[in-house]
Amino acid sequence: MKRFSGLQTYAVLYLGFLYLPVLLLPLFSFNDGTIVAFPIKGWTLEWYRQLGDQDMLIRALRNSLMVGGISALVATAMGLFAARAYVRYNFRGKGFSEGIVMLPLVVPGIIVASSMLILFISMGLKPSLSAVILGHIFLALPFSVSIMKSAFDNFDVSLEEAAFDLGSSVFETFRRVTLPIVAPGIISSLLVSFTVSFDEFVLAFFLSGNEPTLPVYIWSQIRFPAKLPNTLALGSLLLLASVMLLVIAEFFRRRSSKSLV
Amino acid sequence: MTETNIIEISGVSKRFGNFVAVDNLTLDLRQGEFFSLLGPSGCGKTTALRMIAGFEEPNEGSISIDGQNMEGIPANKRPTNMVFQSYAIFPHLDVGNNVAYGLRNRGISKDEIDTRVSEALEMVELGGLQRRGADELSGGQRQRVSLARALVMRPKVLLLDEPLSALDKKLREQMQFEMRHLQRSLGITFVMVTHDQYEAMTMSDRIGVMFNGKLMQVDSPETLYAKPCNREVASFIGEMNFLPAKIKSENKGTLSVTTACFAELTIERNPNVSTHGGSILVGIRPEQLEISKVEPDGYDATVQGEISDIAFYGENIHYHVRVPGIAKPIAASVPNYFHTVDFRRGEKVWLGVQNTSVIDLGKENN
Repeated sequence: MKRFSGLQTYAVLYLGFLYLPVLLLPLFSFNDGTIVAFPIKGWTLEWYRQLGDQDMLIRALRNSLMVGGISALVATAMGLFAARAYVRYNFRGKGFSEGIVMLPLVVPGIIVASSMLILFISMGLKPSLSAVILGHIFLALPFSVSIMKSAFDNFDVSLEEAAFDLGSSVFETFRRVTLPIVAPGIISSLLVSFTVSFDEFVLAFFLSGNEPTLPVYIWSQIRFPAKLPNTLALGSLLLLASVMLLVIAEFFRRRSSKSLV
Repeated sequence: MTETNIIEISGVSKRFGNFVAVDNLTLDLRQGEFFSLLGPSGCGKTTALRMIAGFEEPNEGSISIDGQNMEGIPANKRPTNMVFQSYAIFPHLDVGNNVAYGLRNRGISKDEIDTRVSEALEMVELGGLQRRGADELSGGQRQRVSLARALVMRPKVLLLDEPLSALDKKLREQMQFEMRHLQRSLGITFVMVTHDQYEAMTMSDRIGVMFNGKLMQVDSPETLYAKPCNREVASFIGEMNFLPAKIKSENKGTLSVTTACFAELTIERNPNVSTHGGSILVGIRPEQLEISKVEPDGYDATVQGEISDIAFYGENIHYHVRVPGIAKPIAASVPNYFHTVDFRRGEKVWLGVQNTSVIDLGKENN
């Protein structure tokens, strides 16, 4: 066996520092006590059981699922067409437009959030779930565009030409050839966009008004120490769901870029 | 073969920006022939094919297929089908569904589709492989599926874009014969684009040679080999020794010329050549030259030289002979039977040539 070098030790410590705190969340969610501190007093599922009784929480969860679902659908649809254009065609302003699409990845959330709030209000759109959906589409677009681009990268142009040559209309070609071939990419993009929206706090906090999404609801509950264990339980479930979604998304993303040579 | 034209291309040009891909192409393709467009990569042959298919629109000129002008008619409405260089097998469909793809666009009953798909697969010797997945096919099988998928549509013209270039040599030679047989038995016009002269020669009834967007010559393989119209065509089809020559006198069907190495030659005037002049280029195929230790008898012209290089090809041997007055050594090929010829490098040899073996290539640099 190779001995641990300095760099490997560093890497292990680094990963530990990054992820151990996250693991504390599920750990304390099973703790039979309201104070988040060691030692653990005992094990319980009580906090998880209580989650089901909280109407506001259920409502926030429903809001988040709806916002995430719609944002994912719209962002993926836009990403699909944008990515096909970016990969297939050369046009004026292509580089500029690709840069603009990727911008949300680097612009600070607080700036996006406050400027969107001002913009929406000046347009007459009150803070609401619709406003959050618009904001989340904006945030999810760079993810869906880059995932769909990698799906189109390995897509032989002559496949579409062959379908067209065999008598399909442009629409039929898209439905019977393009869509099935990039389907894994679409699924991956839907899942990632959904996760981006589902976990997002800053924009939702600014734009949601009196219909909180789940992260905004959690933020509001953290102020009450008695509710903290509930929040930990909820957080743990969200963590699990997010990880699962991303693993599935990555599985489909790899399949989409591998199978189409 | 009847002499009706299935495709008439007249005055077609295609530009991409400032680049002229196809320059004033006029060409008639006959019903039921196997036609090849041959040329180096970038010569415009694929663009020409794609204009017939309807993937590109000409900037000028017109294309008609079976008497119908194709202007404004997209690829999905044309009576042509294409075999793509990459084969473009739909990866999400099995073999049967790949072949059935086009038929499903035509509102044909399921039973008839099944019958026609299995017929098409039999035809390309893939009978019974309907359920085979697209990713389980070898290169040769992909090519056959691609052929079946296009032929099942019963096109008036089948277009083939470098159909054999992705296959290894042995398979390529086998497919050359199979495709030729298929074309003969179906009687469908095949138009193939290739950069491989042997492929074009073995399969085609006629070949069109293209350079830099221009069609240089259209002829049968035999005529292209025997009477190429200029140096470019001559060097692209087979091997050729080029010699500058001076015209001494011109007669009705013949030219009397002198070259630096062969003193007096009376050669046939090449009808495919556009211009002559005081000095022309003549060509001699390596296999048409006699090579021997002593001056050969019965040849119209001879020259002595020294062997500078030997290339052994198995079935024949190429000797490169340096002769006075010519910068590039002259290549002479000898069939390798009974090992009767065995020269060494540096050895003095004689080359002999008959008048009939010398090809008039017209004014140089035309």
